[in-house]
Amino acid sequence: MSVWGKSTEAKRQRRVIQGIRKVNWQKQLVHLFLLPALVFYVCFQVYPIFSAFWNSFFSFKGMQRDSFIGLENFVRLFTESPFKEMFYRGFGHNVIFFIVTVISKLVVAFLLALLINSKIRGKEFFKTVLFLPKLLSVIVVGFLFSLILNPTYGALNTFLKFVGLQEWTRPWLGSPDTALYTIILVNSWYGLGFAVLIFLAGLQAIPSEIFDAAKVDGASGWTMLWRITLPMAMPAVMVMTILTFIGAFETFELIFAMQGSQGGPYYSTDVLATYFYRLAFGSVDGGESIGLGSALAVVLFLMISSATAILLFFFKKKEYEQ
Amino acid sequence: MRKMAMSLITLLLVFFLAACSGGPPAATSDGGPATSTPAAESPKKDPVELVMYSWRTEDKDAYTKIIAAFEKQNPHIKVKFKPFKSTEYNTILTNTLTAGSGVDILQLRPYTIATSIADGGYLLPLDEIKGVSEIAKDYLDAARGSDGKVYGVPLSINSAIIFYNKQLFADHGVQPPETWDEFIEVCKTLKDKGITPIAQSGKAAYLLSIAHSIFVPSSLGGNDAVEQMLKGDLTFTDPAFLDSIKQMQELAPYFPQDFIAIEDKDAQALFYTGKAAMYINGSYRLETFEKYNPDMKLDFIPSLAKEKGGDTPMVNWVDGSIAKATKHPEEAKVFIEFLASQEFGQMFSDELNRLSAIPNVTPKDPLVQKMTQLSEKSMVPFLMLVHFGEGTPTTKTTFEDSLQGMYINKLTVEQVAEATKASADKWFKPAK
Repeated sequence: MSVWGKSTEAKRQRRVIQGIRKVNWQKQLVHLFLLPALVFYVCFQVYPIFSAFWNSFFSFKGMQRDSFIGLENFVRLFTESPFKEMFYRGFGHNVIFFIVTVISKLVVAFLLALLINSKIRGKEFFKTVLFLPKLLSVIVVGFLFSLILNPTYGALNTFLKFVGLQEWTRPWLGSPDTALYTIILVNSWYGLGFAVLIFLAGLQAIPSEIFDAAKVDGASGWTMLWRITLPMAMPAVMVMTILTFIGAFETFELIFAMQGSQGGPYYSTDVLATYFYRLAFGSVDGGESIGLGSALAVVLFLMISSATAILLFFFKKKEYEQ
Repeated sequence: MRKMAMSLITLLLVFFLAACSGGPPAATSDGGPATSTPAAESPKKDPVELVMYSWRTEDKDAYTKIIAAFEKQNPHIKVKFKPFKSTEYNTILTNTLTAGSGVDILQLRPYTIATSIADGGYLLPLDEIKGVSEIAKDYLDAARGSDGKVYGVPLSINSAIIFYNKQLFADHGVQPPETWDEFIEVCKTLKDKGITPIAQSGKAAYLLSIAHSIFVPSSLGGNDAVEQMLKGDLTFTDPAFLDSIKQMQELAPYFPQDFIAIEDKDAQALFYTGKAAMYINGSYRLETFEKYNPDMKLDFIPSLAKEKGGDTPMVNWVDGSIAKATKHPEEAKVFIEFLASQEFGQMFSDELNRLSAIPNVTPKDPLVQKMTQLSEKSMVPFLMLVHFGEGTPTTKTTFEDSLQGMYINKLTVEQVAEATKASADKWFKPAK
């Protein structure tokens, strides 16, 4: 090697190191682009959560924070009438919401995803059709279904009469027996496409070699479904179950749009979120209690986050066991 | 390098947090947290702009005319009318007021809400304003703070009434009823002839207590009964009040089928298309019916009497008032004086077809004229709204929701009464 050679080598090394540093610096710079999102997140998500925590320890006079009362808001929420009755009733409805949604949305979506994933014609068409409702705003969906379900001129009852099922017609949203389930089904219809897409993605991620191998080994269709498809699609099922759980406990818009903040008739569709809205903001007649509302928001937050953590833990464990 | 980037991010984050933790006030106020200091007192005679909030978007045209008249008299003051959606109004208003900016004059909901906003210290008392002292004391109660001062100029007097279709009544040979028994008789006749007697919606429960208020005089009595309730001599579980709930229950077959599921606009449509003969709500619906069916032969029944020839009072309440927040107090005062004047009362009544709370206003519409005359003769307050609007949830709301519960067979008449009493017992102190 010449004398020159060594120095060029050193230069080259230095350049490489500089290059790496530059890349590193650029890599770090990337974080800066997260900043706007982070600022928004902190201002509009983290800060409100903490302010709700803080407000839940105060009594309120209208919109004015009054005096520090410790845990009294929480105590009232769980022990005083009518707050406790509303809480447990709302909670019960959330649980029903979750269970019925799992059956009416997840099971149906999984079956549809299986169907679309098999070799049928017009896959793309079905995918699009299923996803279409999601393009509408929830409020619009609520409004449309209020029209469809209207007892006097609504399309559903008119259709039922037309096909001779007169005795099936009922005030779907006006009877306490059907109102909640009707809303859950509308909600499932609305979210079906999204669930199908997630499941489809999960199904398509399963390598086809596994099925080929199973076929060679003589596995039946059922065996493949139970032993291969379901376990391999587990991550997607897990994600959807958790999302459904969170959705069921946060559900508000559709009920608000269709039944108002009272969760009518006579609280038969009242869930914790509509109850929260009434407590915090009241109705046109006033009677707000920001403190009580904040306490409920905190309870709701803790409930959802801890239950989600437990679900995640459970599913993770399951995944490792396989 | 990594450390530097991280610390830079942290630093920026801290900065942004500091900027936003000031919260809504800093974000929404135009030029710093607005205290009572008026923004830059104009050295020249620049016109001052007052911003006025309202929850009635439908009143925009009327207010444009009214404001034009005011601006003509007071060229140095401009008023900007900003209406918001009624159901979102309370939230918007309270946010604006707590932020301390943006609004000079505001339409105030009556009774409890007005009191709570006045108590929050957001409004200026108006007792000294010319014209205010001439307004009936009962009307001013709609805009009083806990300190007894008046914080708003009452806007309109609403009445709960039974609208009826004169044509349908004539076609089926029925006369406007005067007593409860006659009323039920009319309902029966109409129903037998295939007409829905009363277009009532039960989806928004507040409509149920408006309907209830009309039957209170026939079961409970007029102002005497109201006084007894306020003294605590008569409670929600007493037989007289139970009777009023029973009356509501008896009406169920005369309401549209599945009325708990239908909305007020559906009920309105049933009425103005002639499918239903009566409709119960506030007098403010007059405008709606005259707009959708101008040819309709419309009249109203004020309330029912205990016995034939008895008193049929108008069930009244004040709907809103106009208050002033702290910016530009001088100019706002001028505007408030205008609102308390007979001139405004007359314009308000003419433009909006409503009963003004200002004395000596003669309405143009014959039906509104009739309402005024009947009100002058005899009236009772809308008990639930005027006197039982407190509590969390309010006693009024508890009552309304319980009525709804009764109609879907979840509650008995007694349970409705008990729930209402339980709610009132928490806060209501009888004036012994």
